[in-house]
Order: sequence, then structure tokens, then C-alpha cells
Amino acid sequence: MKIYRSAVQRPVTTLMVFVAIVGFGLFSLQDLPIDLYPEIEPPIISVITEYPGASASDIETTVTRPLEDNLSIISDLDEINSVSRDDVSTIVLEFQYGTNLDEAANEIRDVLGRIGPFLPDDAEQPMVFKFSAAMIPVVVLAATADESYPGLAKIIEDRVVNPLQRIEGVGNIMVTGEPVREIQVNVDPEKLDSYGLTVEEVGGVLASENVTRPAGNIKMGLMDYPLRFTGEFEEARFISDLVIGSFNGNNIFVRDVAEVKDTLRELTVEERLNQERGLRLVVQRQSGANTVQIAREILDQLPAIRENLPPDVELLTIVDLSEFIIDAVDNLTNILYFAAIFVTVVVLFFIGRWRATFIIVLTIPVSLVAAFIYLYVTGNSLNIISLSSLTIAMGMVVDDAIVVLENATKHIERGSHPREAALYGTNEVGMAVVASTLTVLAVFLPLTLIPGLIGLFFRQLGFIVAITVSVSTLAALTLTPMLSSRLMAVGGGRSKGFGTKTSAAIERFLENLDNGYESLLNWALGRKRTIFFGAVLIFFASIGLFPLIGTSFMPEADQNRLDASIELPVGLRLEETVKTARVLEQILEEKFPEVDLYSISSGADPTMGIFGAADVGSHTIDMTMRLIPVRERERSVWQLAEALRQELQQFPEIVNFTVETEGGGGMGMGAPVEVEIYGEDFTETGRIARELADRMEAIEGLRDVRLSRGPERPELQVIPDQEKMASFGLNAATVSSAIRNRVDGMTATLFREAGEEYDVVVRHKEDFRESISHIENISVRNQRGELVKLKEFARVEEYFSPPSIERKNRVRYITVSSSLHERSLGDATADISAELDEMDLPEGINVDFGGQIEEQQEAFADLFVLLILSIFLVYVVMAAQFESFRMPAIIMLAVPFAFSGVMLALFITGTELSVISIIGGIILIGIVVKNSIVLIDFTNLMYARGLGVVEAVVTAGRSRLRPVLMTALTTLLAMIPMVLARGEGAEIWAPMAIAVIGGLFFSTLITLIFVPVAYGMFGAKKLKKKKEKEDQAFLRE
Amino acid sequence: MKAVFIVYNQALTERVDELLNHIGARGFTQWQDVMGRGSEKGEPHMGTHTWPALNSAILSVVDDDKAEELLAGVDKLNQAAEAQGIRAFLWNVEKSV
Repeated sequence: MKIYRSAVQRPVTTLMVFVAIVGFGLFSLQDLPIDLYPEIEPPIISVITEYPGASASDIETTVTRPLEDNLSIISDLDEINSVSRDDVSTIVLEFQYGTNLDEAANEIRDVLGRIGPFLPDDAEQPMVFKFSAAMIPVVVLAATADESYPGLAKIIEDRVVNPLQRIEGVGNIMVTGEPVREIQVNVDPEKLDSYGLTVEEVGGVLASENVTRPAGNIKMGLMDYPLRFTGEFEEARFISDLVIGSFNGNNIFVRDVAEVKDTLRELTVEERLNQERGLRLVVQRQSGANTVQIAREILDQLPAIRENLPPDVELLTIVDLSEFIIDAVDNLTNILYFAAIFVTVVVLFFIGRWRATFIIVLTIPVSLVAAFIYLYVTGNSLNIISLSSLTIAMGMVVDDAIVVLENATKHIERGSHPREAALYGTNEVGMAVVASTLTVLAVFLPLTLIPGLIGLFFRQLGFIVAITVSVSTLAALTLTPMLSSRLMAVGGGRSKGFGTKTSAAIERFLENLDNGYESLLNWALGRKRTIFFGAVLIFFASIGLFPLIGTSFMPEADQNRLDASIELPVGLRLEETVKTARVLEQILEEKFPEVDLYSISSGADPTMGIFGAADVGSHTIDMTMRLIPVRERERSVWQLAEALRQELQQFPEIVNFTVETEGGGGMGMGAPVEVEIYGEDFTETGRIARELADRMEAIEGLRDVRLSRGPERPELQVIPDQEKMASFGLNAATVSSAIRNRVDGMTATLFREAGEEYDVVVRHKEDFRESISHIENISVRNQRGELVKLKEFARVEEYFSPPSIERKNRVRYITVSSSLHERSLGDATADISAELDEMDLPEGINVDFGGQIEEQQEAFADLFVLLILSIFLVYVVMAAQFESFRMPAIIMLAVPFAFSGVMLALFITGTELSVISIIGGIILIGIVVKNSIVLIDFTNLMYARGLGVVEAVVTAGRSRLRPVLMTALTTLLAMIPMVLARGEGAEIWAPMAIAVIGGLFFSTLITLIFVPVAYGMFGAKKLKKKKEKEDQAFLRE
Repeated sequence: MKAVFIVYNQALTERVDELLNHIGARGFTQWQDVMGRGSEKGEPHMGTHTWPALNSAILSVVDDDKAEELLAGVDKLNQAAEAQGIRAFLWNVEKSV
């Protein structure tokens, strides 16, 4: 029994099936998490090996190289990068997307186990570290305070970090720039020398005075008492009264040689928020937890947390990743509603009957909701990709229902009972509907096969459209005939309720349109050759536009966020860096009213350690700016970035700076432009890199040109004379720790108060660690108990530490990277290539493009293959459907003009050709071919029914004009809100909509004229001749 | 006794059933999915892609007066929707067991 027959005969069952789909879909929707993109785990594993004391080049030869050589055999490895820096080797293994990282990590551990014994003895065990998307901060908070500032760290720890940590899904919370209480014992080395004491001895006394120890048990009478000696400092000020020795029979107190301060540790980083001192809390999520949900929960808790804080402590949100996501998703949801309204209006306009429109539009929720079930079952989220996929599907899901209902209506108009009309109407077009759905599947299912990063995105698009369109076909074959058998009225014509006058006017208009098209076709068929060559000319002319269209990888979105990193001369002390930061604050306050909130961190936090960027230090400034919403400001984030760059250029002390517009929510695609220079010789590659950087500075649109290998860092080295040192009875270990204790400080003991422990640090007074001579005058006690000055056996020299050594796929390299401003990636790449051609590259040095250029080239190549595959599959499906090699070819003549339309649309709107717009182009194949099928199929039908070629073409054209226009318009109008939308995330999807609208508009026009003409030229005539010959042969016999 | 042979577009199935019931013609033989085309202007009903419509056929043996009613009913159906296609043919039944 045929499916539509059972559907019509068992309306309750049919209804219940779809009610079940909608019910389960809505249930899924409720539980779907919201995110910006589909979950992407970067397939990256790092191997970090510390080797204290080794220089960068030692690390490279003894650690990095052997590890790289052995790790390079691991399966699915895509790229192997390494940085060898002083003390540490970092190897980054990049795998292909979709690789099982747990297995990869195990393989890495196996390799490390084998190679471990061959690494230098002093090198530490290599650490395997998996990078995950969860490390991108979900929320960054800032806390500022006035009088509570000294105690801020503890307040934040107790009242903010702890409650937040209890939220499910919150991972690590890092606090930077927190003031830490420290008891400082700042000794005067001259006084210490005159008493014959050392820092170590002062520290030793402090440690031995600050003791609490159990001292056994005492039995008294019936009881057994534990005995405890409590000698701990009760208050920090008691320290000054401790006796550290005696001189000439008098006690020497700590206060005699040192100043004791209960204060805050000297910071290596200064965090300021909107000009106030503060600290920063970076909240990460646990792997697998949902960003939006966690961010929401954190923000919900904040009011309660704020109430618990002292009145002068302010807690502000600097970065909230969920804000942009929620806004973008809301925006797209609105677009989806608008698209639904547009589609409804188009259907009503053409069909002119309320009930028919209702039946057709009903397939929208039914089939779209099925997508939610898919997302839910596969553990995906509601994101930009899935929502724009739904918008694309919106225009397509009504097509099948339109075809079925249109045919059923025709039967009703011819006098059938609605029930019978529904049955036989569906029977007649059922095959065509299924076939056109197959062509759509032939376009969208290959999307799920794209490899790499973009593949993860388009898997969702492919599946969502495939699923919704399949469900819509199912609905068109069951729900639509069932409803039309129940709801459609006997008779025909437009609804009276529509407003008879309007209805009549629309009908007249459509009638005129049909007539006009008919005469146009007759005219065109009279000049087949002219039309044909004209069309070919148009196609090649539009291809000529291609070089004029810029290309990029992914469109960038205005995420309300601006990040700047600024480098002052290397080695500059924090106090000086902070001065520049203050001026920058002023500039932000005065010239950038769009900046809602900014935090500036000067210097670097050493606790960030190996995960921190390579070239941060006391000379760097990091600015994070949160902007007011897109709609409320005149300047876009890119204009603001450019304005900020101009401001930064005014500072003579700023050596280098970058201003980035894409926040942490991005996909880690690297800098737009990255040129990699490979070569073993540092000086050569360095020279070429600098030359290239100079040339790139001059190229239009390139901003923030920078080298990956930073300038050499000045450093002071204490170089002992081994012989002299030995003769003084000293060894390197003693001397190095002595220097460290005097300069960095010696944590002698811990001061306990209210359950917290604070370091008691003994070191030289600040006035005595300000110059090279202060270091030379450090006294060290030798084995014979004498004090020896450092200058007697060592010298202090200024020295430039060698740069870090970067390697990619086991070859040393250096990258020159830059950002772009109002210039397309493709054009910039072409200019850089031209510059590279002019440069004289010595032998043994190779240059390659990395970053987004590389991603773009790979993605475009993948998409091109996909395009060919789609066209091939569509041809296969159609050839089978028409049982002909010729018909699909005629039908697909419309496809090139879709691309012409895309080119024109991109050119006119000045949009760049990106992965997103190419996807739009691929989607077009399906839609355009579908339209063309409708036309050619009917022409074939007319021809088979005995009409002449011209007659068949014209009759079919007239009859199919409305369905073609209707399907084209529903898709086109569904896309228009996407182009017009302004606001969060709009830039990402607009190029796709522009491509689809342009391509669809142009190709529909061409389909309507060129395809019938081509049919007249190549289609029927040949078939007819062949058949005539056969018939004549038969008659002769 | 007359034999009435009605060939009609499948889309008219319900109407024809109603007609038979209305007249009280109980006995009939029906063929579904049969093909045919009209002698003058009737469209072919072939069940193909080109001519997707299909016919059904009913042979009903009824009393003479009912046969006339039946033909009148068919004519009415045809008038109401000429494009659908319905035809009835009548001949004598010489014997039946």
C-alpha cells in the first residue's frame, strides 16, 4: 500500500506521527545548549620538557630534536612545531581533525617512555599536555578596591572564588595581579657585614624562633596531657625584637640590621580596571561544559556575591563570552521568524488560499523541529551554524508541499472530491518530489564529508538540511495530502476572504506575468543562437569579475571586544611600563567613548609560567577593552582598532604593538597573514624576516607586522672565575643560592595568622639591589667561615640572551605575521608574494604561507573538490531520474549562471569570497537544479504528450512559471533578513546569504530563458529525429 | 437485465461508489488501475510519467430501470467535471446463472 494512501485513509495516525515528531523536537529544543559554533576540540597535544639551566640551543639539540624525531612517527600527525627556549622545550603536535586524542596521547607517552633514558639526566620528565577549547576563559571578572586593597586577595579567594568554584562545570579560576601579603625583612648589607652576619644566618634565626612543636606527653593523675611548645610569632612586629647574634658582648637585634615590614609582595604585574587598581579573575570551564550555561550561572551568582563584599570592593565583568553568543543566537532566531513570515507571504501571494497556505506552511515547523531532534541526539548545540542551516532549509522545506498541493488543487478545480484529488494528485507528482529531494541530498550530504576544521562546521549544515528536507518530503507525501483531503473546499479559485479586490488584482498581475513570460519565450525561441551565445558571453564576462573580488578565509565578526598588546623596549622596568599604561588609560577615557570597560595589565605574571606567551615581561602591556553593543555605536570594532593603532603610533617608546578585534570566542585560526621562513641559519633567516617585515609594512592594508622571534633580551650574568672561587673555598651552588637569597629573597619561615600562612622573606634592602656594584659587593660565607665579596672571584656582565628557537616539521623557521585592515586576504597575499619574488632568497631558505592564508588555500581546495563532487552526484541522480544523459546536462546549464550571479552579487556588495560565501554557492547548485528540473520535466511531459518543441517549451514555461518563481522567492526571501540584519554575528552569515540571493536571482532569470532555449536547441529535436527514424524503419518493414 | 460498464478517472472513485449505492445497484465487478484514452478529446490515462492519470472500471449488472438511472447519473458526473473523464456503456445481458 502506498504511503500517501495510508496517510489519507488513517488521518489520526498521520497526525499523531507528526505530533510525536514535533513533541520530541520541542522537548529536544528545550534541552539544547546554546553555543557560538559546534563544539570543536583543537586536535593539539603539547609535550613540555623542562631542563633548568640549559640554553635555547642546548635545549634544541639535546631535547627538542630527539623528541621531535621520535614523535614524528605518531599516526594522524599533521604538523609538529616546537619552541626551544632557555630552560624549556615545548613541542606542539597538531593532529588531523577527528583524531582520537586519547589514543594519540597514549602513543605519545609510549614514545616518551622509550626515549626518556636518552634525554639529558638533568632534564625533567616530559609533560604531555592536551590543549582543550575549555581553556578559553568563559568569564573574566575584575575586582577593584580602595581601603580593602591590601586584603583583597583573601577577600576574593573566600567570597568570590570559592562560591564560583561550587558552580557545576566551572573549571579552573585563575587570579592574576592579586596583592599578596608578605612579611619583609629588608636587611642593610653594610650593617650585616660589619656585624659579620649573612642573610642566611638572619633567615636561620627567624626560622628557629618561629617554631611550634609537640614535646611528648605528660601523665598527671588520671589524665594524659600532650605537651606542646608554642614559639610562633604572634605578631609580625615581634620579629624586629629577635636576637640574631652578639657583637662585642651585646645582643644584636633584627631591628639593628634590618627593617621589618608587614606589607604586600612586590608585583610583577599591575592590573588596572577603568583606572582603578584591581585584580583579575579568569574563569575557565570544565571540558564538555556549556559556555553559555556556565557564564549565565556565574553572572546570576554575582549579585549575591557582591552583597557579601566590603562596600569599597567592586566586582565587574570584563569578558563574558556568553553575551555575544546569546545575542548572535537571538539575532538569528529573529531572522528565522522573519524568514518564516516571508515564506508564508510568498505562498499566500501565489496560492491565494488561506487553507492551502496553512497546509504548506505547516511543513515548516514540522520539518525544522526534526533538526532539533538530530542536534539533541548527536549532542550538538544550537549555534550560528545550525540556525543558519535552518534558515537555508526554510525556503526548501515548503517546495515539496507546494508541488503536491498545487497538483491536488488542480484536480479539485477539475471537479474531483478533495479526498480523491489528494490521493491522485500526490500519486502523480510523488516520484518527481522524491527525485528533486534526492538532488538536494546529492548536494548537501557531501558537505558532511569535508575534512578539517571547516568540515566540522559544514557537517551540521549538511545533516540539518538533509534531514529537514527529507522530513519535509515525508510530510509532503503524507501530512499534506491528508490535510488537503480534510481541509480543502470543493471547487476552486482564490479565497474570498483574502479581500476579493486584492485577490483579483494579484490574480490579474500573475496572469499578466504568465502572458508576458509566454511572449518573451516565443521571442527568445526565435533567436536561439543569439540568446545562447549571449548567455555564454555573460557567463565569461562574470568570470572576468573573479580577479576583482577579494578573498578571505572566514568573515570576521564584530564581537564588541578589542585586545591590544603593546611592547616597550625589552627589559624596561615595570614602573616605567606603568607610566605608559597610565597615558593609554587617559587616551581611552578621552578618545574612545565606545569603550565601556577596559582592563590594562602591565608586566607579566610569572605564575602563568610555561603557558604564558613567550615574549611577555615587565615591558609589555596587555589591554582588554569591552565595547558598547554594536547597535549603539557609530564606529565598528575595526575602525576603533585602526584609530587605536594610530594613537599607539604616536608613542616613541612603543616598539611594537598589535590590536586584535576577534576575542577568545574565535576558532584559533592564527593571524590572517603569516609568512614562514625556513632555514637553519639564524642570522640569515632573521635578516630575511626583517627585510620582509620592512617590505610588508609598506603594503597597503597590512597592520601590526611582527616577527615571531623577538629581539634579544638584555640580561645580567654573574660569571665566576672557577679557580678563584675554589681557592676561596666556595662552590657554584653556595654562591648561586646566596645571590638568589639576597636579590630575590629567602623565604625564611611562615607567619601564621587566622589560619592563613604568609611568607617571611629576608633579602637586601631595595637601595642595595639597584646596580651592578651592589651585586659585586654581595658577601658570601665560605667553608672557612670568612665573608668573601663576590667581586673577588666573579664579574657581572651585561649579556643578550639568545632568542628562542622555533621549528616547524623539524626545520627551524621564523614567521612574519600581520593583521589586515580593509584589505582582502587574497590581495594581501598576492602583494606579499610579489615582494617575496623581488627578494633575493639565498639557497637553503624556503618561504611558505601559514596562518589563515594556509587555512584558506586548504579550505578552498577542499571546497572545490566538494563542488565537483556535488555536480557529479547531481548529474548521477538526474541521469537516473530522466533515464537520459542529455537532459541532466541541459538542466545543469543553469548552474554556471548561479556562479555568475554569486560573482556579481559579491562584486556589487564588495563582499569577499570566503569559505562562507563558497558554501552559499554550493547550496545554490541544489536549489537551481531543482528549479530547472521543474521546468524541463514539464517540457518533456508536454513534448511527450505530442506538442511541438516550441509549443511544448512555451506551454511548459507558462505553466511552470509560478512554481519556479515561488520556490526561488521563498528561498530568496528567507535569506534577505540575513543580509539586512545588523548586530551581533551578522557579519558571519551575511556573505552566504548574499551569495545565495545573487546566485539565485541571476540563475532564476537565466533558467527561465536560457534553459528553455537550450532545450529547443539540443533537447527535443535530437530525440525526435531519432524516434522518427526508428518509426520509419518500422513502417517500411 | 442490463450490463453497465463504467470507466472513469480514479479521482472519481468515491462519486461512482456513491452513485451505485444511491441507485441501489448492489452487485458489481471492479477493476482498478486500468489504462485507456478517449476516442475524441479524452486525455490518455496511462499511469505513466507523461500521462499519470489512471482509470478504474466497474461492470454492474442491474435491472433495466436502474440501468437508465445509472447512465443518467454518469452523465451528470461527466457534466460536473468534464476534464476528469467518465464513460458508461450499456448492453443486454442474455443469460445469467
